[in-house]
Amino acid sequence: MEMELLLQFCINGLMLGMMYALVAVGFTLFFGVLDVIVFSHGDTVMIGSFSGLSMYWWVNAYYPAMPAAGTAFLVVLAAVSVVVLLGMGVADAVIVPLRKAPALNTLLATMMLGTVLRESIRLFFPDGSNPHPFPGLLPDWSWRSSQLTLRFDNLALFCSGALIIALVHFIINRTRLGLAIRAVAQDEEAAKLMGVNFRLVVLATFAMGAGVAAFAGVMNGIYYNEITFGVGLLLGAIGFSAAVIGGLGNVFGAILGGFIFAFLQTIGAVAMPFAAAYKDVFAFGVVIALLAWRPTGLIAEPASKRV
Amino acid sequence: MMRQMLAFLSGSAGCIVFALAIIVWLHVFLMAEEHVPIFICLVTVVGLGVAANMLKVTDAVRTSLAEHERLWNLCALAVPLALIWLFREDHYNLFLIGAIMVYAVAVLGLNVQLGYAGVINFSCASFFGIGAYTSTMLMTGAGLPPLAALLLGGVMAALVGCILIFPVLRTSGHYAALVTMAFALLFKVFMDVNDFFGGPQGITVPPMTLFGIDFSHNMLFGDTELSFYLRYDLLCLLLLGLAFCFVRRLERSWIGLSMDAVRSDDTASACFGINISRWKITAFVVGNCLSGLAGALYAMMQAYISPANFTFSDSLLFLSILLLGGIGNMWGVILATVFVVLIPEKFQVIQEFRYLIYSGLVLLMIIFSPKGLLPRQPRSYS
Amino acid sequence: MAARHILWRRVLCLALFAAFFYAAGDAEAKTALRVGYIGPLTGGNSSIGLGARNAAELAVFERNEDSGATYNYELFSLDDECKPDAGIKVATKMASDKKILGAVAHYCSAVALGTVDVYHRYGMPVIVYGAVSPGITYGNNYPEILRIIGTLINQNKVASEFMLSQGYKRFAIIHDTTDYGKDHKDYFTKFIKEQGGEILEPMFGVTSDQQDFTTELTKIKSMNPEVIYFSGLTPLGVRIRSQMEKLGIDAQFEGVSGIKSDAFIAGLGPDLAEGCLSFLEGSPVEKLAGGEAFLRSYQARDFKNLPDTMAPFAYVAMRQFLDVIEKVGPDRKKITEALYKIKNADTLIGKVSYDDHGQNSEPYVSKYVAQDGQWVVWEDSEYASGKRSLKKPGAGK
Repeated sequence: MEMELLLQFCINGLMLGMMYALVAVGFTLFFGVLDVIVFSHGDTVMIGSFSGLSMYWWVNAYYPAMPAAGTAFLVVLAAVSVVVLLGMGVADAVIVPLRKAPALNTLLATMMLGTVLRESIRLFFPDGSNPHPFPGLLPDWSWRSSQLTLRFDNLALFCSGALIIALVHFIINRTRLGLAIRAVAQDEEAAKLMGVNFRLVVLATFAMGAGVAAFAGVMNGIYYNEITFGVGLLLGAIGFSAAVIGGLGNVFGAILGGFIFAFLQTIGAVAMPFAAAYKDVFAFGVVIALLAWRPTGLIAEPASKRV
Repeated sequence: MMRQMLAFLSGSAGCIVFALAIIVWLHVFLMAEEHVPIFICLVTVVGLGVAANMLKVTDAVRTSLAEHERLWNLCALAVPLALIWLFREDHYNLFLIGAIMVYAVAVLGLNVQLGYAGVINFSCASFFGIGAYTSTMLMTGAGLPPLAALLLGGVMAALVGCILIFPVLRTSGHYAALVTMAFALLFKVFMDVNDFFGGPQGITVPPMTLFGIDFSHNMLFGDTELSFYLRYDLLCLLLLGLAFCFVRRLERSWIGLSMDAVRSDDTASACFGINISRWKITAFVVGNCLSGLAGALYAMMQAYISPANFTFSDSLLFLSILLLGGIGNMWGVILATVFVVLIPEKFQVIQEFRYLIYSGLVLLMIIFSPKGLLPRQPRSYS
Repeated sequence: MAARHILWRRVLCLALFAAFFYAAGDAEAKTALRVGYIGPLTGGNSSIGLGARNAAELAVFERNEDSGATYNYELFSLDDECKPDAGIKVATKMASDKKILGAVAHYCSAVALGTVDVYHRYGMPVIVYGAVSPGITYGNNYPEILRIIGTLINQNKVASEFMLSQGYKRFAIIHDTTDYGKDHKDYFTKFIKEQGGEILEPMFGVTSDQQDFTTELTKIKSMNPEVIYFSGLTPLGVRIRSQMEKLGIDAQFEGVSGIKSDAFIAGLGPDLAEGCLSFLEGSPVEKLAGGEAFLRSYQARDFKNLPDTMAPFAYVAMRQFLDVIEKVGPDRKKITEALYKIKNADTLIGKVSYDDHGQNSEPYVSKYVAQDGQWVVWEDSEYASGKRSLKKPGAGK
């Protein structure tokens, strides 16, 4: 295969992988702290895109003279603040009350919550059932050869995605808040006895996960130039798969899982030209096989079983 | 006064009153078509449920259930029969009643897996679908008689389950959940892109024929023309009855005890010499077989299947039935099936708002009563 | 803490009740003859389904206000979600209810192909308003099934001739894996090959909820097509067109009737949509007598959704039902027979005549190009007059 074509596939795969990784980081954070799977996370991403879009419309209507950088900043700000509030609300109203219930209940409750979010956007956002164009926001400088298109905005998105994940990693491992989060993750009771404010830690974790999701939403919008209300379910399922094959509770696992899943989808479509439509079958099949091989993900959880 | 009433209800009369109440309510609810009656029906049932709980009527009914089990089983048989007769000419409501019974069979299968052995399964609808597609292909492709195809549908689901169980056994918790979830997604996409099984378009399913009777024709009974769904409903009732007896026997046997042990603490049960893998495999295979059988019958009844019937969301629907009914309680499961099948159907009157309101209701249910409608009671060894 | 949660629950409860009453608000019971509508009211294609429902409702409203009408009518509408299984369920529900005399139904071919058996079994006449797969009318001998919109065979014939006449030779194909997408692809490739065009292999089948098409498009880019033909519905069409731009693919984008919706242009924005081609059965509404009046009275009713593409078809079909019922009375069999007698009728969407299979045999197909954020009939566009031009054939080489 030509070098340029190969490179283009790699770029596509990397962008897709970064998006999955950002979603997977959320899953892994929530799981690490509260041992819960928050399945509405994919729809949280979608809410992020839509709140960003609303801000863009607002800016365009009232301050059309705003410089592009300012608009981009405001869009991200709007997405992050709406979604962070939503994430904290969800934690407080659904996750914490269900903490003592079986894990299945939380899973199902958050899936239903995801449907509620999805349907609310479809019904109450203006013209919500249709796809909406998302503004490019970033300068569209690009370099083209016959088979390859390198775009500045892709590069910028990729780098800022990486930066955000690094930031999350830094917060968890190097700050007092991170210390508290890790303490709660290890032993809730003991952490409480040591004076950690449990509720605050949970809210902070959800705020952080939601913030990353909001960024993923805006990134999704900029990358595809188009957003729909229905992307959350599959994105959630893929993000969850990515977090799990990487190994739950581990930020690096989430990144690894995200890129592996994107890689599998790309390989599936490239290597089987006769059956490109089977690429998801291929990807999920490999996920099952991977789990049969490494039952607790590629980067395994430190498993010590209390008997 | 109140005490006498409770005593009355905890005897055999409680059973009959309860059965009559269900027949009347379901009859009214199935007939209701406008917003207001449907809403009143729902409010009534919620109100009655809450009131029954506060006045300790639920406890009385529970006592009655424990003491007069045979009578309860008979009544359970009488309720669907009565409803089938009441709706004998009404195709759509008969179809819904049949769908409830078929779904209940599949959820009973899930109940064996999750409720007894604690094996998580997010792909119940896929096995339901495997049963449906296998029986259809065997009938149209190989020309097998429908009854044989129905049974082989169940067998095929069990066989596919035998393969999937290996990664499930190796993993646990959320990892096992992902294995089955990935299978559910894989199954749907596979069916979607596959021409052989009809693709996303779906395929037409030949009707059931039994002893030379074609199930797809209406039948005459005196002057009235009975709906063809009536035969299907009787067959569904038979399947549900058999499945119910089977699962009940299983639960009360030493097998059920072993499964309970495996679920509640696998380390401890391994210490006592219980073979964990064996019982998990048994539960998974038995449960999938039931789902497959149910799926095969559902396909014939609906006369048409497509991959969209068997998505991950449908698997969630089955799980939500189990959870709302109370994991492990067979009566609760059947009761919950009634609500979960009927409510979205009745919500058609509010058109585009129905998913929003339905998922909101389920969310509230999970938050309000996390143990489901009728939580499973501890075993009684007396 | 506990008190806060109780508060939360109360708020949630209240919100749900409010939503229910809001939804229940516009309903009122009355005794009248019933007619039905089935289409996608939820999901990605709901804008078309809702527009068509409103149009059917408009036809019923107008008839009820008409003092000359013998009967009073009530519209009973159900949601097929654009999914065959849901469609079968609601079709059974509607057809088995003998009070409902007939229905205007289905935008999605996948649904219609599944439900025709149901309508036949119960003997309810149905006019299909938006699904174009040939098998719906020609795949069976059911008298109950009529269709007001043309089949996709004509559409692809016109499309292939048009594309070749514009000088395009090399076509890459993306299709969704439903029968709708596959039928379109089959006829289009057949016509193109017959007339000497080249179809580039492999063709790409995609599922209808796919998000990322960069892999497929990258491969297509390396095949150097002049045209990318997509057969499928609006949501996918929007994604493919915008991702083409991202990958710098400089080929002409051609869609089928499934993308000829306002939502397609709204979803892409006018710049990206500019120059996209689509084809649709029937003449454009604005051009025909009564078209303006239809749009005006639609707007006057204060519906919550725009009419979108299929509204005129549903409106005309519903009016035909009501006319026929006025004539022959409330009897399904007689209504079915009377519908076949409609020949050469002048309507909002052009001539309508039903053949033996209940297919409207007036095969006019309009060509559309997106220009300045609107679908413009090709002949009236600045592209046809030479002011603007489509992507140059051979430019990719």
